[in-house]
Amino acid sequence: MKLFFPLIALAAFICGSALADGLKPAEQRFGGKIEDAESPSFRRHVVPLASKLGCSGRECHGSFQGRGDFQLSLFGYDFAKDHKAITADKEHRIRVNLNAPEESLFLKKPIGQVKHKGGDIYEEGSWEHNMMLKWIQNGAKLDVEETGVFERLEVFPEEFVANRIGETVQLKVLAYWKDGTVEDVTSFTRFETNDESVAVVSELGEVEIKGKGDSHIVAFYDNGVLPIPVMLPVSQLVGSKYPKIRASTPIDEAIATKLQKVGIIPSEVCTDQEFLRRVTLDVTGTLPTAEEVKSFLASRDKNKRHNKVNELLNRPAYAAWWATKINDFQGNSPAQLRINQYARKVNPSRDWYNWVYRRVSENRPYDEIVEGIVMGTSRSKPDQSYKDFVNEMASYFRRDNPVDFSKREDMPWFWARRNLRQPEEKAMAFAYSFLGVRIQCAQCHKHPFDQWTQSDFNSFKAFFEPIVYTGNGKGSDPDFSPKILQMELEKEAGYNREDPKQNRNRLLRSVADKRLANGEPIPWQEVYIKTPNKKKYTPAQIAKIKKRNSNFNARVITPKVLGGETMDVKYPDPRTPLVKWLRAEENPYFARAFVNRVWAHYFGRGLVEPADDLNLANPPTNAGVMTHLADGFVKSGFDMKWVHREILNSDAYQRSWKVNATNQHDDKNFSRYVIRRLPAEVAADAIRQATGSEQRVKELASNMEMRMIGATSIGGYRGNNNYMLGIFGKPVRENNCDCERTVDPTLLQTIFTRNDPEMLSQLSAKGGWIDELARRYKIKNGNNGIDRKKLGQHRVKLVATKKQLANLRANSPAKPGNSADASVLKKYKSELAAYIQREQALLRKVGYYQKKMAALTPKKSEPGQRVQLPEGVEDLITETFLRTVSRYPSNKEMESARADLEKSKNIVEGMQELLLALLNTKEFMVNH
Amino acid sequence: MAAHIFCDGVQRRDFLKVGAVTGFGLGLGLPQFLASASEGRVNPDAKGKSAIFVRLAGGPTHMDTFDLKPGAPDTHRGQFKEIKTNVPGIRFCEHLPKLAKVADKFAILRGVSHTLAAHALGTQYLMTGNRPLPSLRYPSYGAVVSKEIGGTKELPAFVAVPKQGNYPTGFLPVEYGPFETGATPTAGQAMQVRGLALRGITLDDVDRRKDMIAKYDQAFGGFAKEDKILAGMDEFSAKAYQMMRSTKAREAFDLTRESAGITRLFDDQPFSQSCLLATRLVQSGVKFVTLNLGGWDTHFDNWSKLKNTNLPALDAGLSGLFTSLEQKGLLESTSVFVTGEFGRTPKINKRTGRDHYPRAMFCLMAGGGMKGGQIIGESDAKGEAPKDRVISPDDVAASFMHSLGIDHHKEYHTPTGRPVMLVRDGTVIPELFS
Repeated sequence: MKLFFPLIALAAFICGSALADGLKPAEQRFGGKIEDAESPSFRRHVVPLASKLGCSGRECHGSFQGRGDFQLSLFGYDFAKDHKAITADKEHRIRVNLNAPEESLFLKKPIGQVKHKGGDIYEEGSWEHNMMLKWIQNGAKLDVEETGVFERLEVFPEEFVANRIGETVQLKVLAYWKDGTVEDVTSFTRFETNDESVAVVSELGEVEIKGKGDSHIVAFYDNGVLPIPVMLPVSQLVGSKYPKIRASTPIDEAIATKLQKVGIIPSEVCTDQEFLRRVTLDVTGTLPTAEEVKSFLASRDKNKRHNKVNELLNRPAYAAWWATKINDFQGNSPAQLRINQYARKVNPSRDWYNWVYRRVSENRPYDEIVEGIVMGTSRSKPDQSYKDFVNEMASYFRRDNPVDFSKREDMPWFWARRNLRQPEEKAMAFAYSFLGVRIQCAQCHKHPFDQWTQSDFNSFKAFFEPIVYTGNGKGSDPDFSPKILQMELEKEAGYNREDPKQNRNRLLRSVADKRLANGEPIPWQEVYIKTPNKKKYTPAQIAKIKKRNSNFNARVITPKVLGGETMDVKYPDPRTPLVKWLRAEENPYFARAFVNRVWAHYFGRGLVEPADDLNLANPPTNAGVMTHLADGFVKSGFDMKWVHREILNSDAYQRSWKVNATNQHDDKNFSRYVIRRLPAEVAADAIRQATGSEQRVKELASNMEMRMIGATSIGGYRGNNNYMLGIFGKPVRENNCDCERTVDPTLLQTIFTRNDPEMLSQLSAKGGWIDELARRYKIKNGNNGIDRKKLGQHRVKLVATKKQLANLRANSPAKPGNSADASVLKKYKSELAAYIQREQALLRKVGYYQKKMAALTPKKSEPGQRVQLPEGVEDLITETFLRTVSRYPSNKEMESARADLEKSKNIVEGMQELLLALLNTKEFMVNH
Repeated sequence: MAAHIFCDGVQRRDFLKVGAVTGFGLGLGLPQFLASASEGRVNPDAKGKSAIFVRLAGGPTHMDTFDLKPGAPDTHRGQFKEIKTNVPGIRFCEHLPKLAKVADKFAILRGVSHTLAAHALGTQYLMTGNRPLPSLRYPSYGAVVSKEIGGTKELPAFVAVPKQGNYPTGFLPVEYGPFETGATPTAGQAMQVRGLALRGITLDDVDRRKDMIAKYDQAFGGFAKEDKILAGMDEFSAKAYQMMRSTKAREAFDLTRESAGITRLFDDQPFSQSCLLATRLVQSGVKFVTLNLGGWDTHFDNWSKLKNTNLPALDAGLSGLFTSLEQKGLLESTSVFVTGEFGRTPKINKRTGRDHYPRAMFCLMAGGGMKGGQIIGESDAKGEAPKDRVISPDDVAASFMHSLGIDHHKEYHTPTGRPVMLVRDGTVIPELFS
């Protein structure tokens, strides 16, 4: 374990006594006799201590309602507000008593002299109490200006590699301020562990190792957040005892360095059959076909894995699957996109997908794609008139020879979403999509685990204020405006305002659809940048506007990028500097967010996890890999395929799922392949392909319009109602979270693949492989050979007949009493005869339908009966395995399959059952 | 595993650890831990053990159903008359005669009020008890119940007939989503429900298939027990077969097994039959059933549509539902909530219709310990707004949850770490439980 050499060295350098004092522990500085104690600072000491002691926590005074009429800013970063809350309470005026500081409620509550719901926080006479008292004695001043800018934290030791459980180390935290002040703030620092099964940390900063593995302890002070790696190697195989492991790529080198430190031996590299299935599913969202498996396994080319990666990256399915993934990250939500009030045959979500698809398939640089989306403006040229704009829109949607929307330079729909109306919503979506940063928390309070403050949020939000989305036809001339267009539509539709029977919207819709098909203009909503309002308001005016709009803020906030400088927005479009900042080499998020998401896709976990939560307290588990990929991505000119290739060609990606004693619990150091369920669209396509005819398999490989991983799974603005995709976790893309896509297994998924009619009907459907076999062997297939339609018809008739029978019986003629006269008796007899006749007829009918149904229902095969297996049945069995689990069957499996086929009713039904069984294995449903 | 994903400091590793100790799929997974971590488990004293939610999509007019205004001017008053019910003082629309005979079984909430006049937003509000936010999807009541109360071994916890609609689970995991039947039941027939019905196969076939899968599913050997994803899949597989083999599950969907006495309470229309199915499902252990009766968006020809179609269907279905639940002894333990997404404009439009109007609407609540035979709340003379007291959708939601023993202030965490109360702004309506 490292000692505090740097600290000692540092102390030796510092000569000024004030600085040297700052390096003493808080207890020495603020404890003891109060007259001799140091004068505390509100910002540096009072607020952090209150935060550390939990006063400004969410359960206490940090709650948005406060507690006991006393509210502090959550996580304590709004100094002015907190100062006001402490010193200037209107009602009591005694929270801080400058005349008699000891009498201050602010002091008497935490020591329990006055009833405090939060209990006793510290003791009278303790250094904490002393310090708070001294601050009041000194006038309870706010000193944000004086303390100036916080610079950084330093923690000693910088890393803690332990040898045994129970080992401890005391952390020391130094705060550096821009004015040159350096201070030991250990006592004012909040500590958190990122994994308490590895290590815990006390309030005072003592770390104790709890178990094997590696994690971080994080220190929080003022605006600083610093994670310190802590670890206990999982085996004795560390340092020189670590075996030699091949590290053939920079990624593998970085991973080996880490593994050597934590004593984890990686799994072997996987087999060719495992590799092919894995990489094909991961890169293209597609199962390898039987033919591909055969030829890949047969190839003796030494570079075949490498070549396969390149080949896959050139397939349309790669572009489709990654356009879908990028659409996930960018929130292409069909339900939130409605760009035309009337025309229903418009699907902007598909346009968005196609726009991205084109660029992914051309491998355009990632920053260029993002630029096209961020800079998206509905009018394709700055000076385009409203008339030209609606005509251009018409050209995209006309029936004959439409202009290809995906060839547009930009893609405006990112900003057209209905859940992105407000600038703060735009800011959050932007941070999520392009930075992988969650700034939601900072909308209302200091981010608990990152540097973001509410003021950072508001400055960032300012970029998005001018982006608007309306249908008011900005700058249109009086004889060609949205209003005129609407009137034209109304006229064409024969709409009469006076006629109450008419449904205006319905009428206009039919005309709009017609116009759209003919390439004629209809009114559209559009994204554009509004010119900033330079007007200066008087206080009276502001008050008046505020009455109407409580969100109105007359203060113009200068936009500031996250973690950067304010920007002088001399640009007419504030998005221009924003994009410039995104693609700058030093941008801390843009490249990282993307490579981390690609990594998460291939490993089931990001280098930073959750993959869309880059924050200071959540460092990558392997910083070397992150730096290599992020820097390389920038250097390559944001070449997405470079990132894919770099990862896919590494041994790390090609590790087996088979574990050893050292890595069986490793889920973050990439020493083995972590098994996971196929994503919704991939699973749906895989089932379709595995059950498809030879012809269908070919079509699925080339025609992305048929694929769920591509355009087919995009719903309209009414959402997507595909049951299977829903239960398998396809994201709706509305929550700014990668977690919307889930690959957790659930019960409904299992019921679906076992027995859902949608699933079963695919097996026997026309155009399927089983159907093909049925024709080859001339056996009527489908539904186990049952004519379900006829069966259903009979069932309906049977039920109806039974009902008639029940009705008849309920109204059977009542037997007259003994005293009834002859005519009554006679009537009864004739009624009875008719009744019996009718009953017999119905019973016959019941029997008839029952017999018919029985004839259609399959009979159980006789025990011992064997199906004569056709020649070449082994090929059929092999193909079933290749189609589903992408490998050859073992000898044992071949024998089992033969036996199962022999027991079946006929070869086709037997094959169908075998296929269904294989589709329901875990081996099929997961990538491994 | 990374930590610090929650805004307020609850960390993700916490539940992973618990999950690791108890084993994935054996009960206490990640979501269950979150539930037990926050305060307030299901209150065992609550009367409601299961729930039926009836969604009247389109927004039914309050003025022509349960909140008539015979004294309102012609511009507002509808064409229907009021009739007496079996509860003195409660009167509602003449085209609901069957419900009038069982008015003691349910409570009518009048003057329920909100401000969202679009279908999608109003629906999200009424189906979750939370005013929708652009960047957050709240879970539907069904998902909450499925999470808090859970299902039985043989039947899913949450069934929607035929569908649930968008965002069934909101920010909760998909595992709490509804089992959607995809169709409504047909009178006098066993419902061939997706996934559970054995179409043309026998139980022997099910067993044969199960054995066959087991035979070919050996690729991961012993690791299948170690790996949480694989172990979870095996666990679900066992459960799936339990359901498919279950006589109880099959019979729950088989309306022909219902006694004549109960069947007679319903007509043979899809909604009525769905109500009948709901009683059978609840009886068999399903905890939450969503039913749908649409067609309430009556911008045009309000009265002829209501009279000829909507009201007879509603009358037959709901009266059958309340009566049969009571006859089966289930009304006390089943919370029923009937609602649209908003009311309709009290002022009649030019097209003899009414338009969207969230400021005043009605809801019906029954069972689950909620007192029937009463009217709670009141709209003003023209039905334009709550008269004095405003009942919010949040209050109704809080009461619904309360009847099921679920603390509506219970806190969940969204996957991005935001702490969110189940129904933040609601207060339980006291009269329902007095």
